[in-house]
Amino acid sequence: MTTILEWKERAIHFYGRNEVYLTPIVKFIVALVAFTIINDRIGYMERISSMPVALVLALLCSVLSVNVMIVLATLLILLDLYALSLEVCLVAILLFLLIYLVYFRFAPRHGYDVLLTPVLFHLNIPYVMPVGMGLLRGAYSVFALVCGSVVYFFLDGVHENAAVLGGSVETAEEEAVSMIAVVLNQLVGNREMYLVTGMMCATLLIVHVIRRMSIENSWQIAIVSGLLFQTIGLIAGYMLLGIEGRTIGVLIGNVAAGVISFFLQFLFFNLDYSRTERLQFEDDEYYYYVKAVPKAAVAGANKQVKRFGGRDERKERLTKQQFAEEMDIDEDLLD
Amino acid sequence: MVNEERLRHMIRVAEFDAAEGKRCKPMMQYARKDYVSLKLLGSFVTGTFCYGLLLVLWGLYSVDDLLARLNQMDLRDALMSFILSYVLFLLMYLGVTYIVFNVKYTVGRRKVKKYYASLKKVNQLYDREERLRMPENKDWE
Repeated sequence: MTTILEWKERAIHFYGRNEVYLTPIVKFIVALVAFTIINDRIGYMERISSMPVALVLALLCSVLSVNVMIVLATLLILLDLYALSLEVCLVAILLFLLIYLVYFRFAPRHGYDVLLTPVLFHLNIPYVMPVGMGLLRGAYSVFALVCGSVVYFFLDGVHENAAVLGGSVETAEEEAVSMIAVVLNQLVGNREMYLVTGMMCATLLIVHVIRRMSIENSWQIAIVSGLLFQTIGLIAGYMLLGIEGRTIGVLIGNVAAGVISFFLQFLFFNLDYSRTERLQFEDDEYYYYVKAVPKAAVAGANKQVKRFGGRDERKERLTKQQFAEEMDIDEDLLD
Repeated sequence: MVNEERLRHMIRVAEFDAAEGKRCKPMMQYARKDYVSLKLLGSFVTGTFCYGLLLVLWGLYSVDDLLARLNQMDLRDALMSFILSYVLFLLMYLGVTYIVFNVKYTVGRRKVKKYYASLKKVNQLYDREERLRMPENKDWE
């Protein structure tokens, strides 16, 4: 155990010192995996569905924000679907608009979650996402989970029915409309999508709530409860819906999710992996150029007892004086 | 000589300015009610747009059924169900917005409080250094 802990300490220090190189490498790998899966599953436009294009785009993503990665992946998907069929592309545009509206409104900083959810679905270990997100993220990351899950099931439906959807390019207007209905039916009529997305959302919320409880071993209890709920719920759901041949996949997937979740707990529990900061500031005498490398600090439970009620919030207006009083500072600091 | 304690607080202040400052700016400017109201207003627009998109998708999905029933359709009933579904959808959407942004405000406000505590400490430490350096203060030498 001591050896493992020593390795952990070394890993933390290594990450702290080399964060400037490691973050782009991680981004590059995530982007490359995502683009390769897109090419592999729905690479209908040959010109853009090649490894060199994926490599160039992944390189670009390694230095840009994760939201740019999402936009590039969306463009890649839309171009591929356009090559398959115009109707499918039209439906995908509407669907992505809807997803973007939800994602950028409620969880705009959860880009990795949106991207990793379909990737892990493809790798048959999606069950780690709700547990991992429940442990490391806020409750509203549930929106990112829903967005990623819907994208996966939509693209999976398109992949499964590619022969039907891409069959006739020169269709009459009526056939085009019915093809749109076929595409949409991949989502609307997909009972498995409702079941899996619903169970994963519930699991995320359960893990999040238990993890925040002030009980001993809350992380372990959260992981085990979440995985048990997810496994039993999914197996029961599949039985109710009459979908066969999923039980073994669910069991293996959840066992793998358990192993990864405990690894995540080992890595992140009580540890501060915040980014290395390079800061510059000055006062009358000095210029300060600071490189702040995070130490492996144990963060105590941050409990604050705050009284609500008693004050009529309807009448609340924030003045500079009130704000200064609340923050316990001089008003001059706010100028 | 650099005061290390002051430097630690200055680092915290600079970290907040560099990372969280922009995101937490509304929490410094608005009261909770104003902040959430502003977000609800934005959500009214995006929610309406979302409903429009859902309606278009639904229309495309059931276009055959709609065309078949067009002659027997009661327009008044259809309009009523359209309005009712819009109101229900918007209520749900705004409800989610209310909860999410209330939580975000609470978390952001907590960060702002820590930021101002560090800022206050930096100011106090500067004042203290200033006083110690005054010529009449012999302790400084």
